[in-house]
Parts: sequence; C-alpha cells; structure tokens
Amino acid sequence: MMQIRAFEGALSARPDHGFQLYSSGEEAVAVGLCAALSADDQLFSSGRSIGPALARGLEPGAVMAELLGKVAGPNRGKGGRGHLAKPAAGFFGAHAVVGGNLTIAAGAALAAQVEGRLGVVACLFGDGACGSGALHETLNIATLWRLPLLLVCSNNQMSVSTPVAQALAPQRLSDLAAPFGAPGVTVDGMDVLAVRRAASELVRRARAGEGPAFLECVSERFSSHSSSTRETRSAEAMAAIRARCPIDRLAGALAAHGWPGRAELQAEVDAEIRAAVAFADASPYPDPAEALVDVV
Amino acid sequence: MIYSLAVPGPIEDVEEVRVLEWHGEAGRAFAPGELVVELETHKALVEVRAGQAGVLRRILCPSGDWRAVGEPLALLSDGPDEALPADAEGLASLAVDFEVS
Amino acid sequence: MSSEAVVKLFFREAIARAMREAMAADPRVILLGQDVGDFGGSYKEFVGLKAEFGASRVRDTPVAEAAMVGLGVGAAAAGLRPVVSITYMDFLMLGLDPLVNYAAKARFKTGGQITAPVVIKTTAGAKGQGVAHSQSIEAWLMSVPGLKVVAPSTPADAYGLMKSALRETGPVLYVDHKRLFPMAGELPRGEAFVPIGQAVVRRVGRHVTVATHAYMTRVALDAAEQLAATGVEAEIVDLRSLAPLDIDTVATSAARTGALLTLEEGQLTCGVGAEIAFQVRERVPSLKVARVGALSAPVSSNPVLEAAVVPDASRVAAAVRHLLQA
Repeated sequence: MMQIRAFEGALSARPDHGFQLYSSGEEAVAVGLCAALSADDQLFSSGRSIGPALARGLEPGAVMAELLGKVAGPNRGKGGRGHLAKPAAGFFGAHAVVGGNLTIAAGAALAAQVEGRLGVVACLFGDGACGSGALHETLNIATLWRLPLLLVCSNNQMSVSTPVAQALAPQRLSDLAAPFGAPGVTVDGMDVLAVRRAASELVRRARAGEGPAFLECVSERFSSHSSSTRETRSAEAMAAIRARCPIDRLAGALAAHGWPGRAELQAEVDAEIRAAVAFADASPYPDPAEALVDVV
Repeated sequence: MIYSLAVPGPIEDVEEVRVLEWHGEAGRAFAPGELVVELETHKALVEVRAGQAGVLRRILCPSGDWRAVGEPLALLSDGPDEALPADAEGLASLAVDFEVS
Repeated sequence: MSSEAVVKLFFREAIARAMREAMAADPRVILLGQDVGDFGGSYKEFVGLKAEFGASRVRDTPVAEAAMVGLGVGAAAAGLRPVVSITYMDFLMLGLDPLVNYAAKARFKTGGQITAPVVIKTTAGAKGQGVAHSQSIEAWLMSVPGLKVVAPSTPADAYGLMKSALRETGPVLYVDHKRLFPMAGELPRGEAFVPIGQAVVRRVGRHVTVATHAYMTRVALDAAEQLAATGVEAEIVDLRSLAPLDIDTVATSAARTGALLTLEEGQLTCGVGAEIAFQVRERVPSLKVARVGALSAPVSSNPVLEAAVVPDASRVAAAVRHLLQA
C-alpha cells in the first residue's frame, strides 16, 4: 500500500504526469484482493489501474514506464493507465470504459470453466459501474453458469462529481447480487485485512465451482476523480476522508504486535520508487511507426 | 395409367428440395393417405402422401438428390404390370397431399 | 467439378459443416447465442452441434447482446475460439462496446500481449420483419481498425469464410443474410477455405463492373440476366470481404469495363459503395461511377414499402443503363 501511495506521489509531482486516475485512499481494496489471489488467477480492473497493477505484483518501473508512454511498459507504452495489462503476471488488465471489463472478465471465467482450469477471475470496478446494464447481464449469466468470477466493487462513494446516493438506488451495493442468487458481501474497504478475509472466502468458493459473488469494499477516494478533474468535496470533508488512511490503520494494527511502522519502511519504499522513476525516464518513447503495429 | 409424382408446391420460400427418404421400393402399393416420400427444404421437412391409390414403379430421384418444385420424382401406375415410358414427360400428375413441418 | 468432388448443401448446412469441422478439430471452438443448442439455431444453421460437442461448448444465452459479445470476446482473449451468434444484425449494436472498444483494440492496446480471436456471426437483411429487424449495417463496422468483416453470398462461401474466420488471430464479424438461407449450392467435398480479403468475379462481362456483396450479389446476377437480353454485359464482382477490401479485383475489372456500379442493401451515405467508388477512382481516374443502395428510410415490414426501398434487379438494371448512357 505504501508502494502505491509513494508511486502516485512521485507521479503526480511530475509536470508530465499525463491524464491519471489515482488509487490513493483505495489501496486496501486492491492489496487485500490481490492477497487472496493465486498465480493461477486473473485480475481485471477499471481505468483506476495503478493500485491494482502494483498490488498484483507488476514492477513499479514497468508501470511507471507505461504511464509515461515509454516502450519499457508492459503495453510498450501504447495502452497507458487506461489499458495497463500483463496477463502473464495475472493482471489481465485495465479497461478505460466504465463497466466495460465486466462481460470480458466473465468471458475469461468462461474460458477457465470450459477448459477445466482452476483459475478464478476477479474484476475490480467502482460504484460508477453499478448502474450499467453490463453489471446485471454479467451477474445473471455468471450465476446461471456458475462462472468462477469475483466481482469486486471499490465503492469510493463518488462517480466523478456524483455521490453514490444520487446515482444508485440500492443503499448496499452488494445487494445488487441478491436478485440473481449470488452472495453479496460488504466490507470496510479501508481495512486491508477485512478485504483479504472476505475475498479469500469468495475466491475459494468460486474456485470450488460454487459460482460468482459480489464483494463491495466501501472506500474513500483521497483525490479528485482524475488529475484534470476539480475536487467537488469540501475541505472539511476531505480532511475527514484523508484521516481514514488505510496504511495508518494497518500500521496501527501491526504496531500492537511489534511490527515495523511506516517510518521504518518509508526509506525502502522511496528508494524503490526513485529507481522506478529512473527506469521509466531511461526508457525511450516508441517509434512513430509503432502506431501501425499490432493493429490487426 | 402411368403417373408422375412431382415435387409438390408451391411452398413458401422454396425453390428446390432434397429427397430425404423413400418409404417404399418399386413394386410397393400405396393407399390414399400413406406416406410415400419425405423431402427436405432449407428449413423444413415435407411429407408427401398419396392422394390416390397407386403402385410405385420407378424412383427417378434417389435419396440425397435434388429437384426443383414441379420436377418429377418417381413414376407410379394404377396396376403393377403396366408398361413404363422412358421418362416422365407428358404424364398425368399423381394426386398428393403434402405437409410442411 | 465432377459429382464426386462436390456436395450440394443448403446455406444453413454449409455453416453447420464449417462449425462441425472446426469444433471437431479444435476443442477451443465454442458456440454461444440464443437458440443455438437444442433448437439448432434460428435458421437451423447449428443443428447437431450440441448433441455432438456437448452443453459446455454449445450454450444458449439469455437475450443480452452486450454480455453475449463480451463473453465471447473475453473467452477469446483468454484462449478460446468462440463463435457468438447474434440472430439479427440490428441487435449487434447492443454488443458494439466489447466488440469495438475491446476486441478490435486488444492487440494494439496491450502491445501484442492479448488477442481476441472471436467470430461474431449475425444475420442482416430485409425480409418482411420490420424496421428494427431488417438492417444491413456492415458499412458501420468496415472502418474499425482491428476488426475484419466478411459477407458470403453462396453456401460455398458461407462454409469457406467461416472456416477462415475461425483461423484468424483477431475478431471477425461474419454477416450472412436472411434471403440467402433458402439457397442451395455446391461445396467442395473435401475441407476448403475461402481467403479473407479476396473478392471473386461471379459473372464475366465487358460493359460494366458491378461491385456488390451478400444477397445483393444474387440480385446483381438477376439484373445481369435482364441486361444480357438487351446486349449489355455486366461483370459481377462479389466482394466477400468488406474489411479488408479487395479493391484490386474491382479496379482491375473497372479498368477494363470503364464503368463501375456499386450495389448494396444498406444505406448509400458512408456506405460500402462510397468507399469502393472512391478507392477505385483513385486507381482508375477516368471512370464512370454510380451507386445503388437502399433509399434513405427505415425498412417497413409492409411488403409494398419494403420493396420500394430495397434495391431489386429491375432497379439495378435501370441504374446500369443510366450509367452507360451518361
């Protein structure tokens, strides 16, 4: 989680940061979920992909390169944050269309089922995708066919400028699974251990052939929607939101057992991010001819 | 009298059919209402039943072959021993009932 | 061809044969769609597949085109070779997001890490079913980089193009047509493939080139018969592929005849003909060109109104005569 926080801090400080969606505040959702996944599994994410990609284990240098449009990125700089992917590492990838990855993830789960593979597919999306017909079509077919699919909603309670209560009728988003007969679980998305616990059980269930589930992780978005979207929440609200830091929460829980705290780990994390930035800066941009490579 | 059993019609949307199965060989007598041959169209099965009594004498179109609507499929006759012509040209048509399913 | 070398099949049987051969040869080929399992497909084009290959590989879906296409795209990206049947092309629109925004861009956006070899099979065309069940919108998809589009006009090509589509490394939109299903035609008895990106001359003629595809190929051939009776010989070029487009075959013909008529059942505005006419003109500058397509109106289920809007052989023949007189 510290790695994600430091990575985004370094990226946002650059004048050439580009169009970014930051995961700050929601680190526990991605990290807790990935702690429940094995090497056989695949993770799909929304366009808010930095946290999920790093949590899944992608090298920070490669991720930074991709975000900056450099060839050393896993997508050779051609996908950027919105389409960051490394299926060989279990990160099937981000997709920038809100709700656009849901049916795709179900298809990947279908492939695993048809081929008798043990892999589970997890798809991470925001509250903004919950009004989409694609979510309901996916829940219906995935439940009917018992697909090995875990739908994880990081409900950061905002969709750009729209608070969740103004966009969605259900109070509990995990209730969206109820009509289809799939389990719906809501946990505190700021508690990485709670996320891991809930995800682990639902992954086990999916892997055992019991079908999909909807895991809602209620989280907070520490920044505005994107690097080019203004903040709509008040300064007071933001102060309260940022006080709920998931990293501090875990650090506090671990301190009780004598584990190192943020201060002890910060130097190591900062060095790792400095190296990542250096790696990305050293990588070239793709040749313009690559605009026509891998089209068909 | 010798009759020609032709592909019945008109059948909506159908120009040609494939013979699926003959329900008898040369020499078999058919009573009115009995199933003589099944034909396949692009989307349905056509059951062709005898509309009059007759003896199947010569199958002109074996199973698996194609014919257009109106083309001859077989020769039948009232009696089992009547001499047969070389082909179906100029013959009266055998009365049939057909059902598309 | 000798009778031993060919077999005559209905259009639907040609599709079923391609599917059966592909599914027998490759366990990754699966079929998703409405009414494709026990029902055997809306046109009986999938008869026998579920019985032979089982319920895991042949699955009936609910009416949910966005999910149907997305499932096929995702399964393809994850290693399978799905065929997704969208019964009416009019409803393909509901599945355009996963097809255009993901499948067509997967290879590019991931820098080659992911490809989505999915075949989306759909049926276009006007045949008395009304404004939302009659459209031919293949022109809309021709310009999507990363997406191939094919349209057979005979049982042999229905078979051969499906065989080829199932060997592609990316997404293919396979567009057949309601009015082609009553057709029967000869296919090679042995396994055969029709290359994607290759047009074929259906009828040789020296006065005018008619470039067309799908059911309008049959209409063009009827028009050619009408024209031949008055001494006008039309060369009919059946495109078979809309993306990639075989402009060379059309241009070679047009260079010889000096006149080009494009014919499609879809709309003229930004249509298949608009693209062909311009590209052929680039290669053959002094060329007489005209386009025939549907009139700019929805296609009613009313037979009188449908016939007034959709091109028929007489309208095509008249357009040729008009073009040659100009």
